[in-house]
Order: sequence, then C-alpha cells, then structure tokens
Amino acid sequence: MKEQPLKEITQLIHAIKVGLVEGSYNITNKTLDIFKYIIMSKSWQNADALMQIVRDQCKILQAALPQETVTSNIARRILKLTREEFDLLHAKVQHFADDSQASLSLHKLVTQTSESNVSVDYSVPQHGLREALLDHLQEVETELETSSENICVQAEEHIHSSEIILTLGHSRSVENFLKRAIKKRQFLTIIVAECAPACRGHNLAASLASEKNVEIVVIPDAAIFAMMSRVNKVIIGTHSVLANGGLRAACGAYTVALAAKHYSVPVIVLAPMYKLSPLHLCEQDAFNMVGCAEDVIPYDSIPAREAKVYSPMFDYVPPELVTLFISNTGGHAPSYVYRLLTELYHPEDLEI
Amino acid sequence: MVLTSEQVPQTDAQTLKSKHKKQRQRNRPRNKRNRQEDSQPTTQETSVNVAASAMPGNAVDAVATEKTRDQIMAEREAKKLAKQAKKHKTAPTPTAATPAVLTTPAAPATKIITEVEQTTITTKLTTTTTTKVQDAVASKTTQPAAVNGKDVEAGEKTREQIKAEREAKKAAKKAGKGGGAKVEGITQQLADLKVAEKAPVAASAAPSTTEADQEKKKPALSKAERRAIQEAQRAAKAQVQTKKAQPAAKTPPSAAPKEPKLRSVSPTKAATSSSPGKCPANTPNVDCRVKLFNHLVCAKEDSQFINDPLVHPSIARLGVQYAKRTVVGSNARCIAFLHALRQVVHDFETPAKKEFGRSLDAAVKHHVDHLHKCRPLAVSVSNAYKQFKNQLTQLPADVPETELKELLVHFIDTYMENQIGKAAQAISGFLQEKITDGDVLLTFACSSLIQFICEEAKRRQVAFRVIVVDSRPGCEGQELLRRLHATGIPCTYVLINAVGYVMAEATKVLLGAHALLANGYVMARTGTAQVALVANAHNVPVLVCCETHKFSERFQTDAIVYNELSDPNQLVRGDKCQLSNWAAKGKLLPLNLSYDITPPELVSAVVTEVAILPCTSVPVILRIKPDIGY
Repeated sequence: MKEQPLKEITQLIHAIKVGLVEGSYNITNKTLDIFKYIIMSKSWQNADALMQIVRDQCKILQAALPQETVTSNIARRILKLTREEFDLLHAKVQHFADDSQASLSLHKLVTQTSESNVSVDYSVPQHGLREALLDHLQEVETELETSSENICVQAEEHIHSSEIILTLGHSRSVENFLKRAIKKRQFLTIIVAECAPACRGHNLAASLASEKNVEIVVIPDAAIFAMMSRVNKVIIGTHSVLANGGLRAACGAYTVALAAKHYSVPVIVLAPMYKLSPLHLCEQDAFNMVGCAEDVIPYDSIPAREAKVYSPMFDYVPPELVTLFISNTGGHAPSYVYRLLTELYHPEDLEI
Repeated sequence: MVLTSEQVPQTDAQTLKSKHKKQRQRNRPRNKRNRQEDSQPTTQETSVNVAASAMPGNAVDAVATEKTRDQIMAEREAKKLAKQAKKHKTAPTPTAATPAVLTTPAAPATKIITEVEQTTITTKLTTTTTTKVQDAVASKTTQPAAVNGKDVEAGEKTREQIKAEREAKKAAKKAGKGGGAKVEGITQQLADLKVAEKAPVAASAAPSTTEADQEKKKPALSKAERRAIQEAQRAAKAQVQTKKAQPAAKTPPSAAPKEPKLRSVSPTKAATSSSPGKCPANTPNVDCRVKLFNHLVCAKEDSQFINDPLVHPSIARLGVQYAKRTVVGSNARCIAFLHALRQVVHDFETPAKKEFGRSLDAAVKHHVDHLHKCRPLAVSVSNAYKQFKNQLTQLPADVPETELKELLVHFIDTYMENQIGKAAQAISGFLQEKITDGDVLLTFACSSLIQFICEEAKRRQVAFRVIVVDSRPGCEGQELLRRLHATGIPCTYVLINAVGYVMAEATKVLLGAHALLANGYVMARTGTAQVALVANAHNVPVLVCCETHKFSERFQTDAIVYNELSDPNQLVRGDKCQLSNWAAKGKLLPLNLSYDITPPELVSAVVTEVAILPCTSVPVILRIKPDIGY
C-alpha cells in the first residue's frame, strides 16, 4: 500500500513549488519542523515505526521535489539520530558499556564487521526515546541556525586584503561570507558573474554594494575567462555536494571551475553540512533540469519556433576542480567528503 | 565578425556608383545572399529607395524617387506644428528655425545652383539648432540628425534619418498633447531634418563649395551655439514644468553618445532636468570605472568628431556607425571602411602645389584617426589601412591624378574581393571536407564566415546541425540563429553558461575570430575562450576560422592589457533590474568587455585561406605573406 502524505508535507511541497519557500536553508528548516512534528505526534510506538514514517514521507518529498536533496538529507539525519538514541537507550537498559558510543570511529568501522554484526531490533518499544529524540533534535536545529554564522566566521582565514574574488550567481552563504570579509578586510574587489538568464548575480552585487570599502564589478558570464587571470580566489555556493566531492551547482559553475583550473585559481565552495548528499552522480544528465527558456530567447521570435532552446538549471562540477569545501564545521578537501558522509548518515540509510 | 545583413548592403548601395555595380556583384557574393534572405525588395536604382525599404510600411510605395511618403508626411507634420507653435507663443521663435521651416516645402531634388548657398547656410544653422533641440527634448531621437545635416552625401536618405524622422514625429505627437512648450522645439527638429535631406542636393551640386563653407562655419557656429544654450535651458525648464520626462527615459543607451555633441551647452544640466535617474549613467566619470581597466578609454567622448570640417561625410557617417555599433564584426567593419575610403579617394582634390600621394596620405590619416576616436580600429581595418598606405607610397609619379585615383580604387576593390570574398570561399572549401553527415557544429555568437560555411554545407546537402551558443548582453547569436534558421539548418540555442550542458553533443567547435595575434592567441568576442575551454575539457576539436587579413603583429597574453569597453549600461535589464541606476550607488560597476583572448593550447587548428594551421604558425604566415599585417 502506498503511503499517503501528511498534510504538512503536501503544504510544504506546494509552498516550494510555487516559490513561497526558497533557498536550501529555508527548505531544510521547514522539513525539520515537519519531522519534529512527526516525532512529537503519537502516531508511532517504537523506533521502527517512526523510521518507517520518516522514510515514507521522505520518499514522497523526493518524488515531488527531486531537485531538492536537502529534504532527504535531513530525513537521513533523523533516521541516524533515531538509531543512535535507540542504541544508546538500549545499551543503558542492558547496562552495556559501549565505549565507542555509536560514534563511528575508524577503528570501529574496521572492527565492526566482525563482532557487532548483530542487527538491532528497533521494533522493541523503548521508554524515553521520544524525549531523547526531541532533545537531540534541538541540537540539530541549533546547528542549522548557526551554520551560516559558523561559515562566515571562517572568512578571515581565507581572505586577505586587496584580494580579487570572483563569484557566480547569488548564494546566501556567499553573500554573508563576503559581507563578513568586506568588514574585516580592506580594498577587496569582488567580481560577480551575473548568471544569465535569471541574472541573480545582480541581486548579490546590489546587496554587497551597500557595504563600504569594496569594489563590486558585475560581468556577463562570457567574460569569466577573461577576468579569471586576475582573480585570486573563486568563492561559490552550491546546490548540493555529491558523495564523490563533486558539486551540483548553479549553471555556469562548471565554466567558472574550469577557468579557475586553467589559471590555477583556488575554488572555494561554501557548503553547510546539510547540503552533503550521499548521491553518486558523476554526470549532469543524472540530475539536471531544464528551466523556462523564455528568458533565453523570446518565444515570439521567429527562430524560436523551430530551434531547440535549453535553459538548464544545474551544472555538475567534478571534484578535481574544487579546491576546498568550507562547511560549518570547518574546511574539508573534496576527497574527505565521503568520510563526512559516513559520520553524518547511517550507512543503511543511504538508500531511503 | 557580424556581417549585419541590413547594414552592409546599404552601405554598398550608398557608396557605390552604378559603374561599380558589376564589380560588386562579382566580389560580394555574401551580401547578395543576405539580401535575398531578408527578402526585402531592395531596388538599388536610387539609394533613396533602398533606405525607404528599410521602413516596413513604405517598402512598396517608393513612387517618387526623391520624395518618399514619410518625407511628405513629416513636412506636413512640421507645418502643422509650426502653426501650433505660433498660436501658443510660448517661446520666441529663434531666427535659426524660421529659414529652416521656410525651406521645407521646396522639393529636395531641385538642383538649382542658386539655392545651394541658401541651403548650405541653413545647414549651418541646422547643425546647431538640431543639437540644441534634441538636447532640449533630452536626446529623444536615437539618430544623429545633426550629423546627417552635414555628412549626408549625394542624394541619399540613410536609415538613421528615417528613424529620426519617425522618432521626431512620435515626439511631436506627444508634445502636441502635452503642451505647447515643446511643440516649437519639435517643429524645428522636423524642419531641420528636412533641411538635412536637402543638404545632399547642395553637396552633390557643388561639393567644393560645401567644403569651403564648412571652413567658414566656425564663427557662425559659436554665435548660434550661444543662442542654443539659452534655448536649451529654457526648453529644459519648460520640460520640467510639463513633466514630460518619459521620452527621455525611454532610450538611455542610445542617448549616451548623443549628449557630448553639445560642448558648450552644459549637457548634464539639460539632461538632469529631464531624466534624473539615467543621467549619471550617461556621463561616466573616472570613479565609475573598474580600476583594472582604467587604462582603457571608454569610447564615449565623441564630441570632437561631429563637427570636424576636414572629415569626409562618408567617414563621418561610418564613424557614427562604428560608435553606435550598427556596423559590427571585423569583416563588416573592414568592408564598410574600404567603401568609405574609396569615396574619400574619389572625392579627393589635391591642394594647390601639393603632391597627390602625400596629401592624400595625410587626409586619409586624419580620417583614420577620426575613426579611431569613434571606436578603436579593428585589426582588419588597420591592416587594410596599412595596405592602402603602402600602395600610396608606391604610386607612379608621372601619371595624371585621375588615373592614380582609378589605380587606388582598383586596389581597394581587389583587396575587398581577395582578402574577404575569396578568402571566405577558400576557408569554406577547406572546412567542407571536415563537415560530414551527422556532425554537430557548435559555434559562438555571430560570425559571417561561420554562417557562410554552414550555408555552403547545407547546399551540399550534408545532414548536420548547429548549436549556437550566445551570451548576454550582445545576444549576437540570435542573429546567426535567425540566418541559419532561414536556410533551414536545424539549430539549438543556449546561453554560454549552459555550454557544458550541450558540449557533450557537439562533434566540432567552429569559432570566428576578431584577430589572430602573432603569439598564436586568438582575439575574439568575449566568451570565445570559454567555449574553447569547455570544448577542450570535453575533447572536442576547436577550429578557429580566420582570414589572413585579420592577422595582427601584436602580442598579447591576456584580455586586460588591451581590450575594448562597451557600454556598461547594456548589462542592465530593464528598470526593475537591481543594477539600474548603478552609477549612483558608487561601488557597483558593471563591466562589458568586448573581446577576450583564447590561448593557443585551447585551439586545435586555425583555418585560413592559405591552409589549416596550428595557432603557432601565425608568425610564419605573417612572414611569408609580408603584405599582410605590415
């Protein structure tokens, strides 16, 4: 039997589709609220039932919004959390002193295969699980709220004065990051590629221009290569980080990354932890979407009648073009992303 | 690269006399084709007709050769408005306007020499009044009526004029509704336009007298200018009162090059009163420039070239066309330049006790300097100029002037034919071997050469398709898309940031070039390097098509040392755009580069009419063909 979506879930899907909720952060926040509501509700009696509900709702979200990976990411977090709390309580009940405390150390990963292969029975009702989960969820919420701030704090570590920074489109993380950098450092030049056809780069430029002591240069996307020879650093946001360390970012990011590689300019990607997705997509055909082409060429123009016009939303950026990820927990190399993923999500939840 | 189909045939028609017709048909195959494509009934008998056909409504009724319909309508309009102006008596009619209005009804075709003097005088006044009026109306019209008044040659009506007329009429209507204050200004403007059309008659009848008159013009100008100041200020005030700022706000980018025309009439004042939002954008100061590009001149200060009496009308017009980017693409620019140059040679008269070759050299140098001021010369143009200069030095001494002129004209024609026409055919010939069934060609922006190649391949009935990559703000690819669409080639169209999305489909990348530098770098429209870069990452061969007349002896390793800055306002998308009013925000600087530099390692081969070569062979070509780029 196919699961019915909750009322909140349908509302959220609608809100995202019509554009009431925008940006990864807001979507993550809303999703988290819904899952919190599910946990608080009395609809589940044991961990297994809860996990089933979370999985079902997550599948619905995924089917409705295939491009928004953050929703399933947060669901995976909840699942992992449930497992952890259950294990912890279970261990307490059995007075079993588990030294590793479910934190997956490398040592444990190696040893686990042999001894602790016993599957835990999650269907056993566990007293106090709900409270523990809500407690833990509070932590996740705080982490989410402070993620932007935590990334911003690192601005000083990466940007020196009179630097020329190039960015693409409009990412909220990048906006906050650069604003912090502008406050701390002098004579920065920030080059913003406008990211046609939506030209969201204009918004970022206008927002940054309100700061003092900074020069904002807006360039068309075609001039990225020409300007790259003078750029010190490329700082971009991303839609999600894939399991191999690659990016699924706004269209144009691939060109930026390639040009940066050509001129050996470091590419710094701002990605809060909730954007890490355990997906292995090594080419854009696996996830790309095409948007409205009206902005690319007007519908009423004569050639538009027969020409194929594309307006893709995303670009795949391979990990070798990325120099560094800055997340709310610090900097990471692209090759380290897989490790972050194993810490963040339970291996059994990678496939929901 | 862009051989704008409307422009080039037109310049053709304007400058060519009927005796060159045969030659033209032979050496300009592409233009002929363009014309067919546009399917405009361009009869070339008189250039008036050609110009008229540019207007959709009047394409058919080119009944009279001299007087087209809108001319007559405009005259009527002018008369009507003149009456209104008298009725309202809001402002005293300046003396300058009266003769202009009076001369309007006279048939423009009358070639009576006695009228010549009168018309030249009115032209004199016209140049001042028009500028003044236009500024008072806050440069509503997009076209340089003032320029036309002076530089229109031999009985022709350019497109600009027609457009200007249309604009003027529109403005007149609005003003008629809004209030009497502006009516008078418009009347003048219309009248001026009439006179501007009449001027060519005078010019054709006695070209020498006009030149002489232009010399005398200076004192008259200053006097009229002073009056113009007062007029402009008064009109500006009246405008603020009537709150008719809309027409001014309508065309901000085109208004920009217009303003500096008024040297003495504080342009900022007139403009601020009419359109406070747009004004700072029109007059960029040094602060509003990207620091990295402070060394590059933003080609905007075109004040000095409007009223230069030493500049030949055809060159003056070409200068405006360059500055306004109506003639774009290095081939088109080169062809237009050569046509204008031929006109200069044709009309040149050796001053007394001077040698023909030397004095012509000096004159042409002045003209080229003028063009350079309008817009930095294209490599193709400067190469053509060098060739011409070289030819000048080799002129035989004991030959009469007319023969020398014929020699030079012949040289110009053969240069056009060989370096551009035949070269394109040769390049296309090389590339036809490379295009086979099932090929997917990817190209960037608009190149006349690429278009030629694609059409040739289509003619051979090769089943291929084209991906046109384009970029804001120019969107020249739309033009290529339109042309390819007309020939029935299946096309795909994307913007440049989606190039990674379509690159996987492409089998070959064909790129046009602005110039090939001696170190093997390719200078081309901004974005070309990016396309080559992505193609390289996908292991798709990149072929750059470039005639050898675009080879340059310059060395350059990045796009910043030497480049051209286009109008940054082109980046602004409408009034709702966050960038609008950027100049007021101070820190926000849009940057619109014209060219970028593609390093040779990203280019698989360069296709020239000589051979298919690696980029690094450019200096070799430059050596074995020393007449190029030297």
